[in-house]
Amino acid sequence: MTHKSGNKYTVKNLILLLIKFYQKYLTILSFGSCRYHPTCSSYAKMQFEHNNIFKAFYFSIIRILKCNPLFDGGFDYVKVKCPTEDQINLKFTKIKVKYWKVPVDNNYCLILQHNTTWDK
Amino acid sequence: MAINDKTLNKEQTQKRILLATALSFAFFIAYDFLYLQPQQKAVELANKQNAQVVQQTTTTNATPAIIQNGAPAQNTTAQNSAPVTNNTGTQEVVSKITTNKNIIQIDNLGRISQVTLEGAQYIDANSKHINLFTATQLRPLEVRFADTNINNEAFKVNVTSSNNIVDATKEKQVVTLTQKLTNTTLTKILTFYPDGHYDVDVSSTNNAQFFITPGFRPDVLADMYADHGALLALNDGTLNIIEDEDMDRSVELIGINVASAFDRYYATVLYNYDVSMAISVMKDANDSPNMFIHAKDGIKLHGYAGPKEFKTLTALDERLSSVIEYGWFTFIAKPMFTMLQYIHDYVGNWGWTIVITTILIKLVLFPLSHKGMVSMNRLKDLAPKVKALQEKYGDDKQKASMHMMELYKKEGANPMGGCLPILLQIPVFFAIYRVLLNAIELKGSEWIFWINDLAEMDPYFVLPILMGITMFLQQKITPNTMTDPMQQKMFQLLPVVFTFFFLWFPAGLTLYWFINNLFTIGQQYYVNVIFENARVERHNKHLEEKKHNKK
Repeated sequence: MTHKSGNKYTVKNLILLLIKFYQKYLTILSFGSCRYHPTCSSYAKMQFEHNNIFKAFYFSIIRILKCNPLFDGGFDYVKVKCPTEDQINLKFTKIKVKYWKVPVDNNYCLILQHNTTWDK
Repeated sequence: MAINDKTLNKEQTQKRILLATALSFAFFIAYDFLYLQPQQKAVELANKQNAQVVQQTTTTNATPAIIQNGAPAQNTTAQNSAPVTNNTGTQEVVSKITTNKNIIQIDNLGRISQVTLEGAQYIDANSKHINLFTATQLRPLEVRFADTNINNEAFKVNVTSSNNIVDATKEKQVVTLTQKLTNTTLTKILTFYPDGHYDVDVSSTNNAQFFITPGFRPDVLADMYADHGALLALNDGTLNIIEDEDMDRSVELIGINVASAFDRYYATVLYNYDVSMAISVMKDANDSPNMFIHAKDGIKLHGYAGPKEFKTLTALDERLSSVIEYGWFTFIAKPMFTMLQYIHDYVGNWGWTIVITTILIKLVLFPLSHKGMVSMNRLKDLAPKVKALQEKYGDDKQKASMHMMELYKKEGANPMGGCLPILLQIPVFFAIYRVLLNAIELKGSEWIFWINDLAEMDPYFVLPILMGITMFLQQKITPNTMTDPMQQKMFQLLPVVFTFFFLWFPAGLTLYWFINNLFTIGQQYYVNVIFENARVERHNKHLEEKKHNKK
């Protein structure tokens, strides 16, 4: 699955940039506070990478609102519609895996980050 | 080994990045404090000197405003920032009005040349009463005609005033200013009220079209910490704020109810909620806004020039509170101010008001924070297992976090506080920051001992240092999952960085953060003690059982 390479200057890219900045420099302020896996910032990043912007906003905000001691926390992956067969553009070349889409129920997939230890 | 080297390198670069960030912040603060502020003062001084020179020499340069496209144009011939106001050379005061709040002076061209604030808190560094306006700027109630010839004449002919000395401290007083020109007569009927505001009813004969202005903003405190410029409230409830030195072209606006020119604490306002105004906002030589209200051949307005106090403004009109703006965080800063004022009405001291507000916020968030602290304490029991996991998957943070979450699930305890409680702090903090910066009510308000102005920095740095110490203690007694030594070091550095930031922050804000930390420590200590007791009890029970079994 390749991403549509559109305009570089979109709201989506700006948000992804902000998340990246946060993850790099500001997490120290809120270190080890997230009650979920993946963390809220990773979750939001994946949402904006895989969903349309409105859905991404909605799910990210809901996730942050739920990230407090009144909710259980735990595993909560990004869930999107699985790519249909004609969307899958298989090229049998060596690619760098970033995410895995794991089918769960009626055409929906969970997005899992690729694990670097698996390469070894 | 190679991997170790790599991680070590990464640690070092991260450390350097952090250090660089901290240093650059430090640089900017020092730059602002040591360089920008003195520079600003120098510019102000130079302006004042310029103004004096201008007043003496510009009598020959009699070029008033030229009108283009029906809007009053800027005086293009003035080399300095002095507009037409100085063309007549010496200014004469034709009326002096005393109200309960201020002394208003009207000059020979029918403008408000000066407003002197009477209250005891409105004194400058030389303990003189604050004057709102500077000589070189556009003054309130200046009229400009659309016709160039009339306009030229209007800047040469003096007005006649019905009263020279007016006492409006007991009841409202009317002053009529008349300016007889060749083709038209301009009449300004001004009504001054004991509370310091005024009504203006201005009209011309022979259908001579003209504009009237609320004047250039007061120039008492205009720095980079808070906005200053022009604020226009539209009849659809929106605000249009034009900051000083930020205009690229002049603009025409319609449907306006309030035109306010403001600095940090003071404003000059013309408003009318019954009839909307059309306004030309002209860009002056410094790209700052000058507002001209389209008056046709007559207009009725209300006016106010003074401090942006919530109570004073809302007493004139409930809606006038929109003149006080707190920037981006208005939506939370405004309720915050309302709450602070409500508490202040009972307490009578702004310092204690901040302390009580902090405690109230802590109380509201108590269920959330308490639950968080309790579950966090279970982390101590889990610590060995967490450490083992982190050692096993140290290289792969993703996987470590995944297994940790699995562990929490198995143990039925999620020790993390969550992202929301941390994010909630940010808007509250900024709201308090903006309120402290912009609320004139807090200006010059004292707390205890050495704090005699909560809107200014702590002169002896006591509060910031106390803040840093409490932050350090809070970190010490709060259990955390950090095992990465690099992260731990960064974490331990935080109180130092924060102390540094807070050194120059308003004392009131530092007070809020300090009290907040103090109560967090208390709460955490209480939870820790309860858990420690429970653990000891469990341990004793365990020992007793052992003893029993031995027997």
